[in-house]
Amino acid sequence: MTRSELGRWRSRIVTFLLLMPASAWYVLLLLVPLVILIVFSFGGRAPEGGYRPDFTLANYQELPTRSTAFLNALWMATGGTILCLIVGFPLAYFLATRAGSQRTLLLVLVIVPFWTSFLIRTYAWLTILGNNGVPAWLERLGFGHIVLLNTPFAVLLGIVYNYLPLMVFPLYVSLERLDKRLLEASKDLGAGRWATFRQVTLPLSSAGLLSGVILVFIPIMGEYIIPALLGGGKVFFIGNALVDLFLQSRNWPFGSAAAIVLILVILAAVTLYLRLGSRGGGTREVSLL
Amino acid sequence: MDREQFQKTYDDFRLGRIDRRTFLKVSGLGLAAAVIAACTPGSSAAPSAAAAGGEPTSADWSPPKGVDLGKTLYLTTWPNYHNPRTIEIFTALTGVKVEVNPLGSNEEMLAKLLIGGTGWDVLVPTNYTFETYGSKKLLEPLEMAKLPNLDITRYDQRLLANAEYPAGSKTLWGFNKDWGTTGFTYNKKHVTKPMASWKDFFDLAQTDYSGKVIIHDYQLTSIGCALVAVGFSFNSVAENELAKAEELLLAVKPHLFAITSDYQPPMRAEDAWVTMTWTNDGAQLHADIPDIEYVIASDGGEIWSDFYAVVAGTEHREAAYAFLDFMAVPKVQAFDAAFHKAPLVDSAGIALESAEMRANKITYPDAAQLSKLEFGTAELLTNKARADLWARVKSA
Amino acid sequence: MTDRITPPPRAAIDKAGRWVDRAFRLQATALYLFLYVPIGLVVLFSFNAGDRTGELRGLSLRWYGRALGDPFAMGALENSFVVGTWTAVIATTLGTLAALALQRASRSVRAVFEAITYVAIIIPGIVIGIATLIFFVNAFAWLNPQLASIWSAFGLGAPPTIGTGLHTIIAAHVLFTMAIVIVLVRARLAGMDRTLTEASFDLFASPFRTFVQVTLPQLRPAIITGALLAFTFSFDDYVIASFVAGPGKPTLPMYVFSSIRRGITPEINAIASMVLSVTVTMLLVVGLIYRRSSRIAAAQRAAELADVQETVP
Repeated sequence: MTRSELGRWRSRIVTFLLLMPASAWYVLLLLVPLVILIVFSFGGRAPEGGYRPDFTLANYQELPTRSTAFLNALWMATGGTILCLIVGFPLAYFLATRAGSQRTLLLVLVIVPFWTSFLIRTYAWLTILGNNGVPAWLERLGFGHIVLLNTPFAVLLGIVYNYLPLMVFPLYVSLERLDKRLLEASKDLGAGRWATFRQVTLPLSSAGLLSGVILVFIPIMGEYIIPALLGGGKVFFIGNALVDLFLQSRNWPFGSAAAIVLILVILAAVTLYLRLGSRGGGTREVSLL
Repeated sequence: MDREQFQKTYDDFRLGRIDRRTFLKVSGLGLAAAVIAACTPGSSAAPSAAAAGGEPTSADWSPPKGVDLGKTLYLTTWPNYHNPRTIEIFTALTGVKVEVNPLGSNEEMLAKLLIGGTGWDVLVPTNYTFETYGSKKLLEPLEMAKLPNLDITRYDQRLLANAEYPAGSKTLWGFNKDWGTTGFTYNKKHVTKPMASWKDFFDLAQTDYSGKVIIHDYQLTSIGCALVAVGFSFNSVAENELAKAEELLLAVKPHLFAITSDYQPPMRAEDAWVTMTWTNDGAQLHADIPDIEYVIASDGGEIWSDFYAVVAGTEHREAAYAFLDFMAVPKVQAFDAAFHKAPLVDSAGIALESAEMRANKITYPDAAQLSKLEFGTAELLTNKARADLWARVKSA
Repeated sequence: MTDRITPPPRAAIDKAGRWVDRAFRLQATALYLFLYVPIGLVVLFSFNAGDRTGELRGLSLRWYGRALGDPFAMGALENSFVVGTWTAVIATTLGTLAALALQRASRSVRAVFEAITYVAIIIPGIVIGIATLIFFVNAFAWLNPQLASIWSAFGLGAPPTIGTGLHTIIAAHVLFTMAIVIVLVRARLAGMDRTLTEASFDLFASPFRTFVQVTLPQLRPAIITGALLAFTFSFDDYVIASFVAGPGKPTLPMYVFSSIRRGITPEINAIASMVLSVTVTMLLVVGLIYRRSSRIAAAQRAAELADVQETVP
């Protein structure tokens, strides 16, 4: 072998060795389980529950019966994302326009709730929305008896509360990188605030927008804890339906089919977002003149 | 009577070929009242002199000699079902730390056992599960030699027989911990309309007490009680009857406060005023909050018995048997029952309970109230129609 | 004309409309309140002298005492730390190695790897939890008899049995966090300054030394961020842990969740507050170190500049 060939061989081996551990992890803990799920999804349900080897499309055909749980998750994910956007964008903008030290402090203040346990934050809402919390005040103020806990409202609130930081950060990052001279230029050219926002700020922060939307939408689709804690068994997401299928009704093949479809839907949604995003223009710095 | 025979008899009853009394007699359901009557304080021996003694001590039970029990035991059971002090005493006597794992339904227990690798040692299953657990070998038949304190002659044979698999074979896979009923509780501070039946329960849940009612996250009881409310049997698996029950459940769902088997916290916090309840919880709630009353519905419901059993393939077998033996001691049962307030089956245990306990009408109701109640059938644990119905109701 | 060339200070950009500015400020304040009131309540009730959260009955520290003395709670906390640390270490190592390897790998390998990383990130926790649990149980069911026969063949005594436990949680967590690290490190690699690496090669440094002394320091922010994210995710995860954990060794979120379902005592609040204060302290410390080092660096640069200015007449 020539020296360069040997060199390339060595290089290949090094690459292979570097990649091995991660690949092994992926294969064992992602690919193999996914394959098992796929195999199960075409199988039959053993009489007492579990999997029975079989080949049938019945599980996929039966999926529409779970469409309510799926649509619940979809609506909440969309609604939650939009709410996070509406609420988070002004905050991100506000942060991006602060002076240095103030900005760091305010940023940290947004992170800290994120560092408290997800469960604890959600459970805090149980007290607030429970009978001795907000509804009690509302009643005293004469609004009559309103039930807040275990409603879709409570779940939506929990979602926005937990995912807001994930929306604010990417938005902040891209707004912060925005070249303020462009805004100046726009105003110099006579554009009003709203026009400036619509034609300069928004397009240039679209990458951050996209990241934020994806970071929020995807996890909500797979959410399970928030509906379980704040929905009291009445608000059912596809995540809850999956847990129920495996841990109560024991219909593994059906659950596997639902899980596979969920993954495919999320993949499709994300790919769609990314396509739209790359067509709408990125945050490349537009040079003046 | 096995599944097929039961189904045939039930069909005969529905089609009017046999009347209700015959049906109850043949299927054994009507025996509920007769059976339970044998387990109530009035019928057992006169209270023993050592009644209602204090905590069990090493004088009452000691671990088997020369056996290494290990350091841990994993107990999977129901919420609020064991006196923490009883567990502590067991640990003090044996050095085995007990990890208590409460679940909300037999389905959940079965689901986890089917997946495998649970690490559970002792299970507390309900009467109708033994056929499934036995046939799938998820439990092990009791090794009676390791249970010197268990005297099955003190147990009503018809209740104990639920744990035989195959039926009638005398091979026991568990012994009774207690029995009880599924009724409902209401907080009379807020609930003024009379509620005596499941029909009342479901009707008022949709009207006057909307937003304040809880049902179990458990297909057996929730579907069963809905069936009773629309006039059918708790154990029905007939398609048209299930459809009616499903209709009722779907109608009531938006009005519910929650669907959960952990209903004590919201009841105590008065977030909910009415809930589907098991005897032991009903008695506990009433003891702490006298405004909370427990009702056995007049149109029917469930009567059940829970057992202690050993999970197959357990890593802590000796400790598991030691625990079961400990819980078989009448004094320990009586002490434990003073906390969980479910009625006992072991006649010696009942004799040791305090007079107050035995007079408690929630724990030991009159036999007359039990006449309409039914034991759950083995079929229900694995019945696909009911499992799917429940999944649909929850997804709605 | 000079003020056209120097960019105006950032805070002054939005100078139009004091009302608009006030509106932004108001909204931000409201949001911060919204974010902090629940946490504030959690901390407040941890000092509750009464028995339950929801009714404040005087202040006391007893729940902190209870929490610290509760072996189950402390055990769960310890488990979470162990799992989090191992996850961070393994994920960061494997992820960095993989990211480096991907730079040198062929296009097809890179594409496949990227696709799988993508899937690993977007797959919902529920699905991964269920799928890996089924995999683990079946794998162990196959593996344990093999181990038993090997052990008896070699006469080694009692064979080990492998079941679910902290290690399975770590394994499942590493999957997701490693993917994140790969993304972060690759992004950083892409934006890295090549000239330094090239210079290092020009100066005859071996690839290994180049890596250690040039590449690695530049990757440090991404690696540290990845490690922190991995730890946080693992520490806070409930869903995956609840599926693949073994009996008797819950993580903190698992312990909290089961307590919530049973009706919580302020003990949970106490634990949460303690974890929160540790986190905040850590952040403060990191922040202070960062500020100190950047101030030192700035001072150094100023000193060098002064030197240069002195030498230049």
